[in-house]
Amino acid sequence: MIATDKVWPWKLLLAVILIVTAAGIYGSVSRIDYEWRWYRVPQYFLYKAEDVIKTPFDGVVKNVSVSGSEAVVDLVSLDGEQQQLIVDGETVKVDAGEDLFEGDTIGFVYEWNMGPLLTGLWTTMWISAVSSVFGLLIGLIAGLMKISKNYTVRTLAAIYVEVIRGTPLLVQIFIAYFFFGTVFNLDRNVAGIGALALFAGAYVAEIIRAGIQSIAKGQMEAARSLGMSMPQAMIDVILPQAFKRILPPLSGQFISLIKDSSLVSVIAITDLTKSGREIITSTFATFEIWLVVAAMYLIVTSILSQFVFYLERRYRVSD
Amino acid sequence: MIRAENVTKIFTGRGVTVRAVDGVSTKVDKGEVVCIIGPSGSGKSTFIRCVNGLEKFTEGHVFIDGVDIADRKTNINKIRAEVGMVFQQFNLFPHKTVLENLTLAQRRVRKRNKKDAQEKARALLLKVGIGEKESEYPSRLSGGQQQRVAIARALAMDPKVMLFDEPTSALDPEMVGEVLDVMKTLAREGMTMMVVTHEMGFAREVADRVLFMDEGKVVEEGTPEHFFIEPREDRTKLFLKQVL
Ligand SMILES: Nc1ncnc2c1ncn2[C@@H]1O[C@H](COP(=O)(O)OP(=O)(O)OP(=O)(O)O)[C@@H](O)[C@H]1O
Ligand SMILES: [Mg+2]
Repeated sequence: MIATDKVWPWKLLLAVILIVTAAGIYGSVSRIDYEWRWYRVPQYFLYKAEDVIKTPFDGVVKNVSVSGSEAVVDLVSLDGEQQQLIVDGETVKVDAGEDLFEGDTIGFVYEWNMGPLLTGLWTTMWISAVSSVFGLLIGLIAGLMKISKNYTVRTLAAIYVEVIRGTPLLVQIFIAYFFFGTVFNLDRNVAGIGALALFAGAYVAEIIRAGIQSIAKGQMEAARSLGMSMPQAMIDVILPQAFKRILPPLSGQFISLIKDSSLVSVIAITDLTKSGREIITSTFATFEIWLVVAAMYLIVTSILSQFVFYLERRYRVSD
Repeated sequence: MIRAENVTKIFTGRGVTVRAVDGVSTKVDKGEVVCIIGPSGSGKSTFIRCVNGLEKFTEGHVFIDGVDIADRKTNINKIRAEVGMVFQQFNLFPHKTVLENLTLAQRRVRKRNKKDAQEKARALLLKVGIGEKESEYPSRLSGGQQQRVAIARALAMDPKVMLFDEPTSALDPEMVGEVLDVMKTLAREGMTMMVVTHEMGFAREVADRVLFMDEGKVVEEGTPEHFFIEPREDRTKLFLKQVL
């Protein structure tokens, strides 16, 4: 056999497979009766909002000056009060010297606003970020509890991890919202973040426990033999080494959390997934929106994966 | 300085119980060097680890400067700061530089400021002959260098006693000498030392007293002259015949 493996034939094969798959999907889709309306999608990212500007009092237009795309309108009320309003240049409805009554339209202003896909993405991001921070804290505490010498402490942590890992996240979110939310009168965001944080915490706890236990026993003994207390040894010796080791699984967990967070849409938190559903009920652009939503999740998670990959490489260099 | 009374350590687990240390009593005076020798599995490591409380013993007492370390009221961290320990596997902190390895506990436990801790650390690195390596990470050092850093790290706490558990057993033969030299210097300077070792030459040259352990018990105890030239017990004779 040839020892030098060429890569390009395999790249070619990959391209062929991808193209055939895409063509297959395209072929199947074109056979069903579906009208693609891609042109409708962009407005759900960004749209131009129109705001009407009205005269606040009875008075006279003193001056209208157009500069660039803007028009500056100076008004004087009947009792001499001055006011300056700015509207879009092409929409000015008044001329200098005109008499106006309160509520007359002077013109319009336009503003770019984030559409539901971007606000939904934003909600997904901050819910995931806040849940990750709490999840990390909970996981750190539960992970340390799991390796405690005390039976009660250890078992409590084990029960927590078992319960969370043994039940579906969707059910946990329902329980957090409908049960705990009702009993403790929690806001839906609090219930959603709480459920996600507890969910992530259980997995983080296992990752942290394994990470700590993977650090040689001699490290703890060396630190303790120097007179360092248990917490000092943990903070200065064990955890920094463990964190380096658990960075990959830990970041994987948090990247998963971004995807898992889509389940909070069931308790009416308007995240990316919920936004997608809402858009579909008003546009029926079902295929387009779900594909776009999927792509948005994919973009965020791949950017994060790349970032983690970069961090790992940097760490390896410092070793 | 160190007084052990009837120290017993029983390991239990998976239905088996091991009397790893079985009623050991001995003492080490100030400035004395005591070497502990014995076959593998005789409880030497377990015993020396009982001395600074790394191993919680089942019975008996260990007094360091008259303080009972098994007493609940004793602050074990305070005792350990006075008792340096050097391990077979070095156990340097791999994520810290050589200098940081020496300053960490000084700052956290002795509460020294950064400058004082570094000054102390540099003086000790010079003493063990690796002054130029202070900003290296341990993985970049040879075994012998790592063990000398480990000795310096223990010394940085200004301990009253040093415990060594087979400090040269994990080293390539050509590096044993450099570590033993550091230990000999320490002994000459009057450091109180307890050394578990398989280096009979070192024990013979440096020890004031030699303890021979077998099956968790001290079988024979005496000066090196007595010990290596006219041992009384048959087990000691057999062991010496095997290792010498
Ligand atoms: N953590 C432990 N759990 C159970 N048994 C143990 C443990 N540590 C040591 N032992 C047992 O205690 C006995 C004494 O072990 P120890 O390590 O003290 O011997 P040693 O004299 O240091 O031997 P070596 O020369 O090989 O280092 C051995 O039988 C060992 O198997
Ligand atoms: Mg041993």
